[in-house]
Amino acid sequence: RVSATTKNKRVGSLILKKNDRKSYSRVTFPSEAVAMDEYQTEEETAFVVEEVSKIIKESVEAAIGGNAYQHSRVNQWSTSVVEQCLSQLSKLGKPFKYIVTCIIMQKNGAGLQTASTCFWDNSSDGSCAVRWENKSMYCIVNVFGLAL
Amino acid sequence: MEGSNTYLIRPNHQYKFKPAIVKECIREIVRERLSGMLYDPEEVPELSRSLADGIKDKVKNAGFDRYKLVVQVVIGEQRGQGVKMSSRCLWDADTDNYAEDVFMNDSLFCVVAVFGSYYY
Repeated sequence: RVSATTKNKRVGSLILKKNDRKSYSRVTFPSEAVAMDEYQTEEETAFVVEEVSKIIKESVEAAIGGNAYQHSRVNQWSTSVVEQCLSQLSKLGKPFKYIVTCIIMQKNGAGLQTASTCFWDNSSDGSCAVRWENKSMYCIVNVFGLAL
Repeated sequence: MEGSNTYLIRPNHQYKFKPAIVKECIREIVRERLSGMLYDPEEVPELSRSLADGIKDKVKNAGFDRYKLVVQVVIGEQRGQGVKMSSRCLWDADTDNYAEDVFMNDSLFCVVAVFGSYYY
């Protein structure tokens, strides 16, 4: 027994239809048909900002925690911050595509401004920005989660 | 037997997110808006927001159907400091892509990154 329902979601001026996550597979054993349904609850498919923010803070601490700004090591630091964030995020097992960006800037008295705008589905997608600093540098990490 | 619907699970080649085209879009807008500008801490928030909106609209009109867009604009003052910006994405490398551009003049630098992710 298969029932497929569709939900309409307005995204800007496009109407995209989204299928509920139900999959039905039939294995014919001698006398049985086995149906597998996968349901994911609302909580498991939403972008939870606090959880993501915690992951980012931990990754940044672990990668550049007590260090002072060194031009020769910045490359490796930013790569490790971003990779660690991404691997922790993928471990959450949620149906999302992730984009993680990291900006590391030396403290110099200069000003920095970041802005981002997104064309997506507000009800299912989300973003999280974390600002971290120590005595010699600033680190800004942005995570965007796009629902599948 | 009734007919079934067909759903496109990946874009045809001509409808894919083309980084080169998007990079051109970014370049035009940034050059036009920021050439000759000085870094002003009061104006910058408004400037970066409007730049991001302008770029997003231009890319939308370039006709990438079914693509979700994320546009990030970073504007910083030039004072001889070191800056590094990096990003990593967990996505479908076949359908999704990104484009970026850097603009510098004597008093400021501006980095724009546009990420496009296909909505199946």
